[in-house]
Amino acid sequence: MTQASESARAAFGPRPGERLRAALRTRTALASLIALFFVLLIAAGLAQGATAERILSLVVWGIMLGGVIGLGGIGLTLVYGVLKFPNFSHGALTTLGAYIAFSTVAYLPKSEPIGPFSFGWELVAGLVIAMPLVGLVAIGVDRVMYRRLRRQGSSLVLFAMASLAMAFFLRSVIYLIWGSDFRFYYEGRSNPALDLPLGMRVQADQIFILALAFVLVTCVYLLLEKTKMGKAMRATANNPELAQVRGINTEKVIAYTWMLSGALASAGGVMYGLASQLRPEMGFWLLLPMFAAVIMGSIGNPRGALVGAVIIGVAQQVSSAAINPAYGPGVAFVLLVLTLLIRPQGLFGERS
Amino acid sequence: MPLLKVDRITCGYGDMQVLTDVSIEVKRGEIVSIIGPNGAGKSTVMKAVFGLLHPWTGKIEFDGIDISRHEPYEIVETGMCYVPQVANVFTELTVDENLDMGAFVRSDDQVGQRKQQIFELFPRLHERRRQKAGKMSGGERQMVAMGSALMLDPKLILLDEPSAGLAPRMVDHIFERIVHVNQQFNVAVMMVEQNAKQSLQMAQRGYVMASGENRVEGTGDELLKDPDVARLYLGG
Amino acid sequence: MDAATLSKGIFIAVPLTLLGLKLIPLRAVLRLPAAIAAGLVLGIAIVAAMPGGNLSYLVSFTTMASIYAILTLGLNTQWGFNGHLNFGIAGFFAIGAFTTALFTTAAPTGVMANYTQQAFGLEAPFLVGVLAGGVVSGVIAFLIAIPVLRLRMDFLAISTIGIAEIIRLIFQNERWLANGPQPLRGIPRPLDCLVKDPGCAPDWLAWLFGPLEARDYTFLYVVIVTLALALIYVALESALRSPWGRTLRAVRDEEASAAMNGKNLTSLRIQSFVVGAVVMGLGGALYAHYTVTIDYSHFKPLFSTFIIWVMLMLGGSGNNKGAMLGAFIIWGVWSGTAFLTGFLEPALAAIHPTLPDRSSYLRWMLVAILLAGIVLFRPQGLLPEDKVVSRFLGKITNPQRKQHSQV
Repeated sequence: MTQASESARAAFGPRPGERLRAALRTRTALASLIALFFVLLIAAGLAQGATAERILSLVVWGIMLGGVIGLGGIGLTLVYGVLKFPNFSHGALTTLGAYIAFSTVAYLPKSEPIGPFSFGWELVAGLVIAMPLVGLVAIGVDRVMYRRLRRQGSSLVLFAMASLAMAFFLRSVIYLIWGSDFRFYYEGRSNPALDLPLGMRVQADQIFILALAFVLVTCVYLLLEKTKMGKAMRATANNPELAQVRGINTEKVIAYTWMLSGALASAGGVMYGLASQLRPEMGFWLLLPMFAAVIMGSIGNPRGALVGAVIIGVAQQVSSAAINPAYGPGVAFVLLVLTLLIRPQGLFGERS
Repeated sequence: MPLLKVDRITCGYGDMQVLTDVSIEVKRGEIVSIIGPNGAGKSTVMKAVFGLLHPWTGKIEFDGIDISRHEPYEIVETGMCYVPQVANVFTELTVDENLDMGAFVRSDDQVGQRKQQIFELFPRLHERRRQKAGKMSGGERQMVAMGSALMLDPKLILLDEPSAGLAPRMVDHIFERIVHVNQQFNVAVMMVEQNAKQSLQMAQRGYVMASGENRVEGTGDELLKDPDVARLYLGG
Repeated sequence: MDAATLSKGIFIAVPLTLLGLKLIPLRAVLRLPAAIAAGLVLGIAIVAAMPGGNLSYLVSFTTMASIYAILTLGLNTQWGFNGHLNFGIAGFFAIGAFTTALFTTAAPTGVMANYTQQAFGLEAPFLVGVLAGGVVSGVIAFLIAIPVLRLRMDFLAISTIGIAEIIRLIFQNERWLANGPQPLRGIPRPLDCLVKDPGCAPDWLAWLFGPLEARDYTFLYVVIVTLALALIYVALESALRSPWGRTLRAVRDEEASAAMNGKNLTSLRIQSFVVGAVVMGLGGALYAHYTVTIDYSHFKPLFSTFIIWVMLMLGGSGNNKGAMLGAFIIWGVWSGTAFLTGFLEPALAAIHPTLPDRSSYLRWMLVAILLAGIVLFRPQGLLPEDKVVSRFLGKITNPQRKQHSQV
């Protein structure tokens, strides 16, 4: 609020419109509006002739998509919280992870699928290799670009611009190395759906994705709450100047943050590639939903990012019953704008 | 040899000069109070000592080491800690975690012991150890801030207006704790204060600053009794 | 020298004259004839000296660079003068292009309706189409601005990305609107009968247009585009020196005191955002009439948002001359990299056989590195911000005053 309107308010009391706006800016209001949005989506879907089973299976798909978005979103929210700028190249990191895993899988000999899943051990190897590699790339980008900007005391705009440049740089590198064709981890391999109660048909892969997202989120949570470095990350996100005053080596904290962010992003990329296909634009397609999840879940809050991601994922999937599925990111955008207008600090943030 | 020697420093922010030829000394185990009107440059001295600003001319020595060009984290390692006036706790972290952060550079086994000592110093913090620092009152936050700064067993602690924004009873309590810390832990204290009278009563020595320069210097008693100081800076 | 050379030389003289008007350091009354003379001489010389292929490359380069310069001017109005971080330029670019396409083409009937669909087709004249492109873009910007402009800068950036994406998705998926994803073809080129049909031009201009052939239309269009660029530049510069423009900059620099002086901040910020969007829409419309065929893929973020930011950052944000300069330089770099990758093709093929096909991505990478370099080493761009006060005062040259830079 500007100084002028604040002093006006002090002099004359809150105007009627302001009282209404203040009531609207609560957590409950935001949560209710999100719920209302879902009701509208489901109603629209039913009106278009979708069955309840279809909507239910869309919800399940949506939860899985939420896991994918969440893996990216957690990394994005950590960077946003600790480094204080929106990392527009996060989508590119996601894509990079997926493609590094792809090359690993292509290079290793094919093995039999593990259990009910469609993938073999090479994908797990791909995941294990891609995660730290992308983390290192993220640290490298920080060293080259963002650390210099930090030293120069640059404004937020320059960081955002730098991340935009890095986004295009990484994307062009991906195009150069792997080309623009669509790829699949396992060409032509089927992924039979399991029959679950309530008439839901869920692929085993989807359950794996969700479980992996859950496991990784739990690991991040434990890291942040129980380890010294995790607490230092939270402290630096909360008050970077005080962190320095307390002798915390903020550059080390920042490096850990990038490693974590890159690793999680690449996990999300691999999972997304497993669930659909690999294309160079996949990270950019996920960028808007990831930002929506991060903001809805409150910047800097990893659990919030996952909650936001599941909400976004389900909304996107359920909306496909009512409108063209291509508009999925548009649905994420609507929820993003809703959050920004009503409660920009998100569902879990405190009013500053 | 004094513990801290600020030797005729001149510095400022960007192009703007704030301090001119300022000299301050703090001996081991001493409480030194810096008072003066608003805009005198008191906080700037503190920032220069702690490495948040670097002096343009002059020198700062701590425990025999020239720290004029040191960064804050290097200064922490030499045994000096700083409690800023505002934003001096991690609001999203609990009291416990705030103290942990104070001892970030130390290894874990020593931390637990030290925390116990801090909790004995500030029993109220022990009660509220799992509470988020942001949800505490001003006085409690000040205790968390000071406790965090003490976690590393520093030789010197810098306090920037510790009584700011606190209720009078809490101010007394904080000042009493500062004296206690000084005597029990043998920590030297350099304190910038608006509350001139009380801080001079606690201090062994004091400096009066105005317009970025030294004005008067003496023991706490001398300054309290000095009629000019009393008239200009102690409110009569 | 033959008649065709003379005609083409005269056309080329127009942008050169405009450039001369800006650059020639003479008093106003002398500047115009000097610029015209210089323009004519240079124009005819260039046409006479350059081989045909190079000449048409130069003309198309100038046309595209001018279109991008218009877009960059629009961005400068939003960012340079009011601090709106708009990462969704592509949206307004697309709206301008598609609007003029819909306005100026005919709605398909009969057999054609099977292949092309569009919401309407008014067969309006060129000027109407272009202005409509600007207006519709401005209206959409206004609707967006109301909820979104008061967000803090990084949230605004994220929101504008989303808006541009939605606009692109709409044009990609809504067949009934503009034939998406199929291209919309047949956008009329203004005044093209002047080169196609000998009877079109009035008698007293027959000597000018007669020698030209249909493929020389580009010479005509470059004149149209550079004139548009000049008009927009002059309009924006005088708006800047007007009371409105001064208030804008006061709001950007000292928000609190502007508010206390009773200026309605929100309305002013919306106005500047809308003006910038109108300019972007005009640029988009001129683009559509140049390429004659458009579809959603023309407005992907790389070419329509990212590259314009590079242009403005290089040229100098807060400076309209810088905006235009940056546009020409970056378009030059982009075009230059095409030659570079062509030259490097054997080397690329030696590294990996697939690389020459992917050489356009190498060019993207170079532009990305260029932006990174600008951000790290010269964020203020080439031309610093113009410290202009009012149209009555001229520029302030006060080196002691600390530059308020955007970055």
